[in-house]
Amino acid sequence: MFNPIVRFIGSIKLAVPLLSTIIAILIWATFYESQVGSTTVQQEVYKSPWFGALMFMLAVNLGISALSRYPWRGARKVGFALTHFGLIVIIAGSAGVIHLGMEGMLLIRTDSGAGDRLRVQGDLLEIINSAGEVEQGSVFIKQDGSVSPKYVGGLELEAYTENAVQEIKIAEGGTVKNPGIRLKLASDRMGQAIERTLAMKPDVYSKVGLGPAVLELVQADSEQELNRLLHPQTSKGHPWGELEIATASKKRTVDVKANKSKTLRLGELKIAITGFYPDFRLDRNQQPISASEDFNNPVITLTVTSPKGTENWFVFGKADFPPVHTLISGESIDNLTLAYQVQPPEETDYFKVITTEDEQLYYAAKSSTQFKSGTLTSGQTIIPGWADFKITLEEYLPHAQIQRKIIPGINEQEGVPALLVKTQSGQETWLPWGQASVIEEGDRKIYASFSPKLFPIPFGIKLEDFIVDRNEGSESVAMWTSKIRIEDSQNNNIEQRKVWMNHPTWYRGWKIAQASWNPGDLQQSTLQVKREPVWITALTWIGSALVILGIAVMFYAPALTRKLRQQSATKELAIATEENTADKLPTKELTRIP
Amino acid sequence: MKPVKFLLGLVLGIIIFIIPFNQFQPSPLASVKEIPVQLDGRKKPLDTVARETVIQIHGKAKYQTATGEKLDYLQTYLSLWFNSRDWNQEPLILFNYRPLKAQLGLDLERKYFTFAELMQSSLSSTILAAKEKQAEDIELTRDEREALTIADRLALTVATVSSDRLPLVPHPNDIKGKWLEINDTEDYYSLSAAETIKQDYLELKQTYRDRPEASANLEKIASQLRTDLANLSPQVYPPKATVQKEVRFYRLHFFANAWMIYGLGFIGMLAVLWFKSFDFYWSVVGIFSAGLIIHASGFMQRMQIAGRPPVTNMYESVIWVSFGIVAIALLFELIYQAKYYLLAAAPLSILCLILADSLPAVLDPTITPLVPVLRDNFWLSVHVPTITLSYASFALAYGLGHIILGHYLFAPQATAKIRSLSKWNYGVLQAGVLLLTTGIILGGIWAHFSWGRFWGWDPKETWALIALMCYVVPLHGRLVGWLADFGMAITSVVAFNAVLMAWYGVNFVLGIGLHSYGFADGGSEIIVASFVALDLLLVLLTAAKYKGWFTPSDKAEVRRQEIIPFIKNS
Repeated sequence: MFNPIVRFIGSIKLAVPLLSTIIAILIWATFYESQVGSTTVQQEVYKSPWFGALMFMLAVNLGISALSRYPWRGARKVGFALTHFGLIVIIAGSAGVIHLGMEGMLLIRTDSGAGDRLRVQGDLLEIINSAGEVEQGSVFIKQDGSVSPKYVGGLELEAYTENAVQEIKIAEGGTVKNPGIRLKLASDRMGQAIERTLAMKPDVYSKVGLGPAVLELVQADSEQELNRLLHPQTSKGHPWGELEIATASKKRTVDVKANKSKTLRLGELKIAITGFYPDFRLDRNQQPISASEDFNNPVITLTVTSPKGTENWFVFGKADFPPVHTLISGESIDNLTLAYQVQPPEETDYFKVITTEDEQLYYAAKSSTQFKSGTLTSGQTIIPGWADFKITLEEYLPHAQIQRKIIPGINEQEGVPALLVKTQSGQETWLPWGQASVIEEGDRKIYASFSPKLFPIPFGIKLEDFIVDRNEGSESVAMWTSKIRIEDSQNNNIEQRKVWMNHPTWYRGWKIAQASWNPGDLQQSTLQVKREPVWITALTWIGSALVILGIAVMFYAPALTRKLRQQSATKELAIATEENTADKLPTKELTRIP
Repeated sequence: MKPVKFLLGLVLGIIIFIIPFNQFQPSPLASVKEIPVQLDGRKKPLDTVARETVIQIHGKAKYQTATGEKLDYLQTYLSLWFNSRDWNQEPLILFNYRPLKAQLGLDLERKYFTFAELMQSSLSSTILAAKEKQAEDIELTRDEREALTIADRLALTVATVSSDRLPLVPHPNDIKGKWLEINDTEDYYSLSAAETIKQDYLELKQTYRDRPEASANLEKIASQLRTDLANLSPQVYPPKATVQKEVRFYRLHFFANAWMIYGLGFIGMLAVLWFKSFDFYWSVVGIFSAGLIIHASGFMQRMQIAGRPPVTNMYESVIWVSFGIVAIALLFELIYQAKYYLLAAAPLSILCLILADSLPAVLDPTITPLVPVLRDNFWLSVHVPTITLSYASFALAYGLGHIILGHYLFAPQATAKIRSLSKWNYGVLQAGVLLLTTGIILGGIWAHFSWGRFWGWDPKETWALIALMCYVVPLHGRLVGWLADFGMAITSVVAFNAVLMAWYGVNFVLGIGLHSYGFADGGSEIIVASFVALDLLLVLLTAAKYKGWFTPSDKAEVRRQEIIPFIKNS
């Protein structure tokens, strides 16, 4: 019936070496995994075609061995067949789970809308070539930074970096008017000379800080403004601004810095300036703090006491924010208005280059000791009075243009991931992650985007609330629960569900489970959203049941049936003996019948 | 079965557990021990807090002071709490790691150091550096990890000495609400109530400081404090019986008693085997049954205290496996009356229990709340016990394997006995294969619900499968005659290393994967590795003898010929 080759394929003589090989590979893979990480091993071993082939071979071996022993007579053989067929079903099911399931993560927030794009493992490279053809390819980055596959859409994938940065170059060559300057700063004492290029647009490139001093390119739109820039007024001497206090009958203006922590009197009111916050925020405990030293949102806090009561005040430097006051004790205080005005402090040292409509250049240089201003021409050198620094206008660029280039960063903390690709002609370009890029090759343009792999699901999930339960009296987490709303516009259906650890919810074949959370931000939650064809789940479960049943039958059924048969045989014979007492068979002999 | 002899053994075992009788009398400081504290996410008796604190700082529950006085954990803790000694100068803090001691210029031979000594050493800079690295997620060196352990001990010492911060005051209405320290009582309750509590507490403190040995006085005041605290919030305050149950659980030392009874059973079984006239087989089975009952009741009590199946960390799984080994052995013993099952089971179970009892730093016995992923899950509570029960079966087979190899080594002529032993061993291997397969599959079902996939080649999953295959492959080899009794004995011993790897190695050696909640900092790899190496050497030796590798081939031939007629004659 079976020729020798088939018989060998279904034999233990193949099974034992095959299983031994698989054991060896698995042992190696777990140690390899502890070095290179799970994703790499999944990609290189468990999901690889050769490993699949090995598993397939095992399944074939199991199948033929089970079939070759047909018909399965006796409990042992039945158990054997059940186990081996069960294993084939499990292998098929597990392979299905790994290869056919669709699984991704969905990060949702209570303060944003419903999410319906899953973040799937891996990245995607999408290329539109000059002919308008679109090509897509999955990109897999290994832990050591190497990239697979080698080619996508005619581009060679050469390298990957976690921290690419944008290098900015400002050069002449734009089509619109946009003044730019190139300055050289030199100090003999420090033995250094540096160059800085500034452009009027975009704004961020018009100013650059150099330690305590600032270089700035300013446009003066009028004669007045030019004048103000060239002859600035000296500071008013109120570094923290002034507070105007007015009651129905009296009015007083005070300098904030001079009166901090002092108690001021106005009529029967006592006013204490308790705090000054240049960049006011409330922290997690609702306590005022200053986020920085910059004057982004200056606020002063005060305690005002009248004979009848006490109030706390927050007075904002921004004119459109009215003061906030809360009653601490007693009765509220009427007829009190507080107004606070503050100018951001000027940079102590600066060098400003001022351009006018008619492309005239001026400079204004301030140091701690002096102020200078005047006209400026290319090649002119100014000594601003910062140590022995000399500033030279190297070049004036009437049509400055910003040229961006992505390069791998040196600092490991900064930057975005990027992929280095090479065109057929050999041009190399870094594609930053999550942005569309243009590769210009002569007059051909290739659009490429290196982006996270996303998968749309047919409904949206909105996070309504995220609840963290803690163990009693401690900060350790007992459970976190996402209250979600499923918004299914296709079926005009909205449902509320709860998901927590080990308690997923199912919607239209998709399993939605709690995956992780962000301890620092309780408004967000990450869900695992997964679809697995029902027949795969069924396969694994059926296979599982078959295997367990099979082993139990194989090991224990023969002994049991033997015992049962023995018992019934004894019984039958006992009956027989009773009926044929004449035979007088010794019972001792009877029990020995198998 | 001989019921009288069996009962005799059973009763003997239980008497050993019950003696000394005074352990059932109330302890002189019962009320102090039974004050509930809300700590680490649950309410526990002060007794437990004291034991855990002293063990964490000192590494063991007994402390010998600088003056040579011997204190138990409670005395040590009370002395720390009420600051009745100069704790700056007491050699309390465990510091074991020699390379770090050498680096800091500390005495290498000393195990315990005073707080002052450690603070004056340059340890603090090592700790600081380690903490900075930790904050930046850089992998720590062994030195730095050890330094952080010491830092924890120092911090716990500071937090304990003369501290009034123990959360003793119950929440007024929320059963899960945060408890307060004595000094903050008025945040929840009236000033007068707070005053009473503070008065009680000060009195307790003062009484202890004046006369620490006057336990009757202390007992009275502690009882008063406890009553006053309970009256603040009777619905929230745990009932006395609950607290007493935990105190009693620790006092009765179920697991230590269990291994001693198993030890007695082991000796009894040896006697039964050696002396034909010593006909007490069923009494020995009775002793083992008593041990198993005590082991099981300890397990049940721990479950009740923790409020969950205790199979979620290494300590609990070691206790469970040691239980499984004896339970499976007893089951087989009742079927076959082989004597060797229990003989093989006892040493392994005893070893597991002693390890669990004596390595609190590696196998942490503290009862703590579960991490979310392990919470309320039916499949978890069947998967883990099943899979660990299979480890127990294989451990039993490992023990039997050694007995068989021992016969091959020292009594190769006893072929009939080897034959029976091999048959018994095969039965255990079968049980193990069925349990491990079931366990792996149940794990797959749990993974299906928890992680969304039945199988994902996680290292722990993979190793469980490797372990299974390490048994299944030889079992198949046996079918085609590649392996016989000797081969299966070798399998029982060698393949157990795969079980060790799946059970212990994945967490401690590989240290990766999704099962990370079972991970801990081991440091015991070298001991385990050398044990495994020695064992494999023994296997090699036996194999060499069996195959006659070291005897010239003709001699081996002669010997075999000598044996064969012997078999034929016998």
